[in-house]
Amino acid sequence: MIFSSIPFLYYFLPAVLLIYFLVPRVLKNTVLLLSSLVFYAWGEPRLVALMLFTIAVFYGCGLAMGQSRSRKWKKVWLIVSIVVSVGLLALYKYADFFVSSFNAVTGLSVPLLRLALPVGISFYTFQCLSYTIDVYWGNVPVQTNPISFGAYVVLFPQLIAGPIVRYSDVAQELNHRTHSWDNVAQGLRRFLLGMGKKVLIADNFALLMKLFRESNGQSVLFYWMYAIAFALNIYFDFSGYSDMAIGLGRIMGFHFPENFNFPYISRSIQEFWRRWHMTLGGWFRDYIYIPLGGNRVSKSRWVFNTLVVWMLTGLWHGAAWNFVLWGLLYAALLLLEKWVPAIHKMPRVLGHIYTMLAVILGFVLFNATSLQQCAQDIKCLFGFGGLPAITADTIYYLRSYGVLFLVGIVGATPLVRNCANRIAHTKAAALFEPILCIGLLLLCTAYLVDGSFSPFLYFRF
Amino acid sequence: MNKWIRAIGAGLLVAVWLGLAGWLWFGPKTEFSDAERRPLADAPELNKETLLNGSFMKEFESYTLDQFPMRDDFRQLKSMFHYYVLRQKDNNDIYVEDGYAAKLEYQVDQEAVDHALKLFNNIYKRFLKEKNTKVYLSIVPDKSYYLAEANGYLSLDYDAFFKTIQDGMPWATPIDITGSLDITDYYYTDTHWRQEELFDAAAALCNGLGVTAPKREEYTRVALERPFYGVYYGQAALPMDPDTMYILKNDLLDSYVTALAEQDPKTGAVSYKPAYESVYDLSKQDAKDMYEVYLSGSQSILRIENPNATTDRELIIFRDSFGSSMAPLLAQDYRYVTLVDIRHISSSMLNRFLDFENKDVLFLYSTSVLNNPGTNFKP
Repeated sequence: MIFSSIPFLYYFLPAVLLIYFLVPRVLKNTVLLLSSLVFYAWGEPRLVALMLFTIAVFYGCGLAMGQSRSRKWKKVWLIVSIVVSVGLLALYKYADFFVSSFNAVTGLSVPLLRLALPVGISFYTFQCLSYTIDVYWGNVPVQTNPISFGAYVVLFPQLIAGPIVRYSDVAQELNHRTHSWDNVAQGLRRFLLGMGKKVLIADNFALLMKLFRESNGQSVLFYWMYAIAFALNIYFDFSGYSDMAIGLGRIMGFHFPENFNFPYISRSIQEFWRRWHMTLGGWFRDYIYIPLGGNRVSKSRWVFNTLVVWMLTGLWHGAAWNFVLWGLLYAALLLLEKWVPAIHKMPRVLGHIYTMLAVILGFVLFNATSLQQCAQDIKCLFGFGGLPAITADTIYYLRSYGVLFLVGIVGATPLVRNCANRIAHTKAAALFEPILCIGLLLLCTAYLVDGSFSPFLYFRF
Repeated sequence: MNKWIRAIGAGLLVAVWLGLAGWLWFGPKTEFSDAERRPLADAPELNKETLLNGSFMKEFESYTLDQFPMRDDFRQLKSMFHYYVLRQKDNNDIYVEDGYAAKLEYQVDQEAVDHALKLFNNIYKRFLKEKNTKVYLSIVPDKSYYLAEANGYLSLDYDAFFKTIQDGMPWATPIDITGSLDITDYYYTDTHWRQEELFDAAAALCNGLGVTAPKREEYTRVALERPFYGVYYGQAALPMDPDTMYILKNDLLDSYVTALAEQDPKTGAVSYKPAYESVYDLSKQDAKDMYEVYLSGSQSILRIENPNATTDRELIIFRDSFGSSMAPLLAQDYRYVTLVDIRHISSSMLNRFLDFENKDVLFLYSTSVLNNPGTNFKP
């Protein structure tokens, strides 16, 4: 089930929230656990067992670590949890990638497993690992209540698309959180804002990208429109989901970490990754990069650490070589920024242009279905694809999507937020806010309902 | 104070949300969408199998989308936001210009075109080539021919498209009707042309066929009572006025008899059974598609009999829906005009129903049908 769907918005969410707020405090985590399992089962009925197994393994390992007297045994249980969870991730997400790469190199035909990818496995695996690693390091206490722990792992607001909520982020709130009308109001507002970003902006850019791929009238300019549209699509899609997750958590008294902070205003790649998917960057920093020694090591070791972290970051996003290259591209750019300090001293505009160019081209690599397609896309972007500079299709879609591009580009800056903050305490804002929220709800619903638009082909009789 | 206003506002939001949810859960269900001309999804069956294989979830989503309260109003809200706020030029490939709603069709579907040409050539080789027939081809341009390019919308390369069809049917004499039509000859809300505005196009066809053209002054137009909500009315989902549908009347048309082909299952003999008087099936005013008033819409083989014909010539028209309103205007000199729709009858079976010897044969198809992968011409 996804948030931006009618079953979620008008069946699951109202029913769960009604039950959640009606039951006594002691049962709220049980409601969360059960409803989250239903949420997960809606899309993956056969993989609920895998989810329960993951919960049991991490709960058990955490409990065992808590009861272990020696550090050695704690380490054993930590390794068990890592091996099991990374093993499952490797099996379900990466096995076919490794097998097909092996086949390509050796010329053999080892059969692929073709296992269905469990939704959200990358997110919940990292969340679970944060629990056992933090327990091992003594940063958080062991969770002895299986209901509370299960609720943390499978918590539906952040289950399928993050943010990556570490156990330490919500350990306190799992047992003691405040419920208030103010939290509900703020949560609803954040949720609707996220849904608006996803449904009204990201999905419209997705449509343009589809039209671009289907068009016979591609041009150099159309390729750039596609590249920029994808950069805006992925930002509004992902940050929209994060907003929805944060909002849903807030309704139920959780304070999830922020995941995006206007990444497209960055003036360097380093700054970009401090603003983009912050919970993932933080996870890799704290659980991989720093344990490997971080930058307090020899230069060669530091380069190695950087390459490892960014290759893993790329692989985390998907099991394909374009994701690996995408990660390594960022490793290269970050190393370059370290070694060439002049990059940070560039004029603001140049820094911004450099960063956005790297990010946009990086996303072209990210979104390619194959390395061949990526090479073709890059060639066409720079006029080496034998395409005209502009076509009738380009002009049409530029005119048709001009306002959306404007909305997307302005919306990706803090301008709107700053304006909203400036008037936030006025009576007009207090009056306008619910109207805006209701408008967003109705408009997003309208887009979702129209998604079912499917005229009978036979209308031409 | 502001805190209270915000709290009340949030309460209002929750009330709207729950109100819509309650309406969706317990409100009345709708069986058919007039806007999309299709049945709406019903509640899926819930059992262990449908749950485990995920089909229940998929169908439930379709059901909730189809049964959402005020569905057409929400679609209209989306369309208006799309057009007037985001300033997008089309919505679900439908655009509105000068009050005319039209479909954005600008890419040639070569597979569909090839399929149509292959079947037409098979028909020619099997039934027409050795039968002393005179074969003609006329392509009906869709609305975008007159609307798209001039208004900055993506447009099919019509010249190239027509040439492809004509080159693919070198045995047919082309009759160009594009210069005899303009956008005002089409409905605002529908894909079709208006019968009462077809005199120029009919004259071009009649001249090509070598028969008498209808004269505008000899016909009176009669408005049908019910407003005509064309197929694009629902698809555009914008506030548009419905069209008025007219039918042409005169003594000649009134004398025509429309008959449907029937084959005796035992003997195989084909006979024509009169279906209704004249050339209009007025009962279709209540149909989902009111354009079926013309010759009762889609029929596999249908014959117009003209008892006052001055010759024994016969015309066979391979056609789509555009032919329904045009055919009566071509019938003045013909004893019989037979309309064949090979989307409803296998083209390989035509010799069981039709004798092509010495007949005039006209292929009259619209660009929308020829260029549509959904067109199901039957081999």
